[in-house]
Amino acid sequence: MLRASIEYLNDGSGAGSENDLRAITEGSKAADIGVRYSAELTSFAEASVQGDAASLATARDTLRDVMGSEALVDAAGVVANFQRMVRIADGAGITLDAAVGMMSENFREELGLDQYETAGRSRGLGAIQRVLSPLLRGVAHLGLRTMGRRARNRADV
Amino acid sequence: MTAFDYSSTSDAIRDDLALAHRQAWIHVAKAGSWLTGAERVAVADETRRARSCALCSERKAALSPFSVKGDHEHGGVLSQALVDAVHRVVTDAGRLSSTWYQSLLEDGLSPESYVEALGVVVLVVSVDEFHHAMGMPPEPLPAPLPGEPSGYRPQGAEVEEDAAWVPVLSPKRMGPSEADLFAGMPAGQAPNVVRALSLVPNEVRAWRELAGAQYLSPQQMQDFDSPRAIDRAQIELVAGRVSALNECFY
Repeated sequence: MLRASIEYLNDGSGAGSENDLRAITEGSKAADIGVRYSAELTSFAEASVQGDAASLATARDTLRDVMGSEALVDAAGVVANFQRMVRIADGAGITLDAAVGMMSENFREELGLDQYETAGRSRGLGAIQRVLSPLLRGVAHLGLRTMGRRARNRADV
Repeated sequence: MTAFDYSSTSDAIRDDLALAHRQAWIHVAKAGSWLTGAERVAVADETRRARSCALCSERKAALSPFSVKGDHEHGGVLSQALVDAVHRVVTDAGRLSSTWYQSLLEDGLSPESYVEALGVVVLVVSVDEFHHAMGMPPEPLPAPLPGEPSGYRPQGAEVEEDAAWVPVLSPKRMGPSEADLFAGMPAGQAPNVVRALSLVPNEVRAWRELAGAQYLSPQQMQDFDSPRAIDRAQIELVAGRVSALNECFY
């Protein structure tokens, strides 16, 4: 979704790159991607999850200064939501949906997601799924581009 | 005093967010399908207590969390199995295992009670994490509301080996009473993370309501126009970074 939304925000000028996705696993790369205030948002997310009170206060003040109070509140909401999602996934022992696994196969290994402790819960792709996954990725990308185009058209009206 | 009165905070906290937090607290306080209001509030209490539990800290630091024996610091209301479940989900969820889950069942915890408690835990974690991120003290827990658990178990909930440890519903295998659970998603499909709590449908409903205020509703997820003060890429960047820090494979 990050990759698709970057593409949407860049007026469909090209898909988000692997570098964009690396900002997720390597916060230090956040400044390099085409998302406004990505460094401040990433610092706030990191401080919220694993920072001490002082670093969180600094990250919060910085984000408020550059983006405003409403944006800070919305970012805090997203942090709170995803602090919950991981516990739902791990507490219920869910596996990766087959379709998601097929669509994300190309970057999961590259970003090191397969090294996570919980990765072992999900089976790897079968031979047929491996063959089909590039096709599914293409269809999904097309679908996301269509969603983005529709949203842009609505915004232009 | 009104719960979640954000009017005195210096930041502009949206009314719908305050409302969602209030509704979450009411949901926690009411009798559920398998737990009383008092038990649900006790689960919420254990959710907070886990953060300072010495045994949880020791386990978190250990190479294997299952190698460290001992007793949790607890409030004395819930069974040992349920206390262990709550504390581990809060402090070390990434190292839970199906063997551990099965041991809870052998200790007498029902899958229904476990899933309901999980729903309460994640609701409280999420509301507390919002306060933490905003630099606000946690809201006092609600007083339990009277009432008996309904004992409602949805038709069609089953263990699917390739989906989850816990029994789950599927869009293709559920009754009309649960039609709303997967609304807004592609027909006949629901990702496992949405199905995870479906053994206790009201926990999915509470999850959706809070997620719609803190993140996006399923309908909003399919639209790149952000209804928030941060754009969609900014939302997904924060979501992705938090998930990566938590080593969320999903």
